[in-house]
Amino acid sequence: MLIHPTPPSLDPATPPQTQVVALEDVSKTYGLGDTLVTALDHVSFGIGATEYCSIMGASGSGKSTCMNVIGCLDRPTSGRYYLDGQDVSCLNEQDLAMIRNLKIGFIFQQYHLLPQLSALENVMLPMAYAGVSGKERRDRAAEALIRVGMGNRLNNRPNQLSGGQQQRVAIARAIVNRPVILLADEPTGALDSRTTQEVLHLFGELHASGITVIMVTHEPDVARQTRRIIWFQDGRVIHPYLKPEDLKSVL
Amino acid sequence: MDIWESFKMAGRTLSANRMRSSLTMLGIIIGNASVIAMIGVGQGAQRYAAEQFQSLGTDVIFVITGTDNARRNVIAPPNRLVLADAEALATQIGVVRAVAPQINGSELVIAGNNTRRATIIGTTPSYSEVRNADVSSGRFFNADDVRRNARVVTIGSALSRELFPQGNPVGQQVRIRGTSYEIIGVMAEKGAFLGTNQDDTLFMPISTVTNRLVGQRTSPYGVAIQVINVSARSPREVAVAEFQIANLLRLRHQTTGDAAEETFTIRTQRDALEIVGNITRALTIMLAAIAGISLLVGGIGIMNIMLVSVTERTQEIGLRKAIGASQSDILSQFMIEAVILSLLGGLVGTGIGVGGVLLVAIATPLQAGVSLAAIGLAVGVSGSIGLFFGVYPARQAARLDPIVALRSV
Repeated sequence: MLIHPTPPSLDPATPPQTQVVALEDVSKTYGLGDTLVTALDHVSFGIGATEYCSIMGASGSGKSTCMNVIGCLDRPTSGRYYLDGQDVSCLNEQDLAMIRNLKIGFIFQQYHLLPQLSALENVMLPMAYAGVSGKERRDRAAEALIRVGMGNRLNNRPNQLSGGQQQRVAIARAIVNRPVILLADEPTGALDSRTTQEVLHLFGELHASGITVIMVTHEPDVARQTRRIIWFQDGRVIHPYLKPEDLKSVL
Repeated sequence: MDIWESFKMAGRTLSANRMRSSLTMLGIIIGNASVIAMIGVGQGAQRYAAEQFQSLGTDVIFVITGTDNARRNVIAPPNRLVLADAEALATQIGVVRAVAPQINGSELVIAGNNTRRATIIGTTPSYSEVRNADVSSGRFFNADDVRRNARVVTIGSALSRELFPQGNPVGQQVRIRGTSYEIIGVMAEKGAFLGTNQDDTLFMPISTVTNRLVGQRTSPYGVAIQVINVSARSPREVAVAEFQIANLLRLRHQTTGDAAEETFTIRTQRDALEIVGNITRALTIMLAAIAGISLLVGGIGIMNIMLVSVTERTQEIGLRKAIGASQSDILSQFMIEAVILSLLGGLVGTGIGVGGVLLVAIATPLQAGVSLAAIGLAVGVSGSIGLFFGVYPARQAARLDPIVALRSV
């Protein structure tokens, strides 16, 4: 029997293979009737593989909701969301957990490291949920920590690390499962300007090595260091392809 | 996440909060220790009581005059159990080994300057055999003493100490109703048991009692006696003996087996043993139930702490969900923590309980024993308490919305 591999579809309805994130007409509403709040209002945009972009907008503009949708923490009320070519807008809780585990690396403003675990164990955690064997887990976690420049702090607890170091551990944890996208929510919000530069430099390196980085921020200086800015206002994307040098005109 | 991994993780979390974890376990520890100790002590009491009965002999049958019903009458019917009945039992029933008729009385007993009121039991030498009542010094009266209406007595050990504080009473005299009696023996100590203190009793040949104290015709039917102590040939033949005794006495008293006409009551050690066994068993269950309440309280303590823990670790739960933990991962994580707390507490409590039981066994006559069933029960119950009281907090944790959980400060 002959198996014919399906050729890449040219149908415009399916997202292009190079787009790792594709939102199609995504809406997200909360509440009912008079208290109905529209957080995302028919949003459509795509982010290609190996892009380095930031999502900006005033508070309440929908950028956080959009990030939750992209991060599979939340499901859109309507519309389609393709992550890595897979429609994830209607997956159940269990499957979304698996998608988050394998395809998305989260980085938070507050680092969210578990205080009772060492740096190495914190980084091993996502692999534990992925069912990676103990030996491989340890090796890969150490490798990821070396990559973010924390190779000499493997056994330190989070409270023995500075803010910048904790964020590096968190980044190592985000990349250890080799995700499709790195999703950073105000990653430098709690850092001083010097460590901010260090962390951004690290993001630049990760991007250069071929990882797609998406960053939500409200700091123009941070956003300027990315290659593309997606500007949100009132639940809509106003500027889907803003060049960092054009940011001043929007502000 | 596999189960071993979850256990390691739970261990890390619990040991990071050592103070809280151990305080939480304390409730379970106390509950478990008290369940095991209480069951141990209760069973010890059960064994102790059973042993006390066994010391009276398991083959003993008591034939008591009258019935509970008849005794309630204002005018008691004449005593129909007589000495001749006892003789008939001894000669006509094959499965009987020994028969000792018994007349009870109460008299003032005088020895020198000491006077005591004592229970007098008039009986035959067989009494010593039937009731396992031995002398510690001197001798029990024999068949010759009975035949000769000898003025001899053996006295209980407590009575002996009271009447003769200075020493050995054997060979000395006591006076009862103006007559002197020679003490020929002192009974071995038996202790008070179910209301009668055999150590406070004075034993006399039954013929001496009838001739000198109560008289020959105390009933229209002959010499009234209160009890016939019978021992069956073997413990297995008690039931047969009981049946034959009842038949023979009904024949002699010309009554049917009708309850209203009954003239005697038969009690065996087995009846008494059963009653006492039931009482002590109920006592054990009651003790265990009270201890079980503290186990329940311990379980609620676990639930309380787990709920606090869920609230405190909201961010952790959010983070774990963000990096790929499913609802069931979170659920099992918190369940395992609760079960570890309760099981560990259960084990420590078992150790303490067993220690307590051993202490009781050493320090008191109760033969408190550690029963494997009690340990299994306590550990099993505390483990399931962990499961039961862990479910609610764990479900709360598993249901948290990761977005809300991550944002909480």
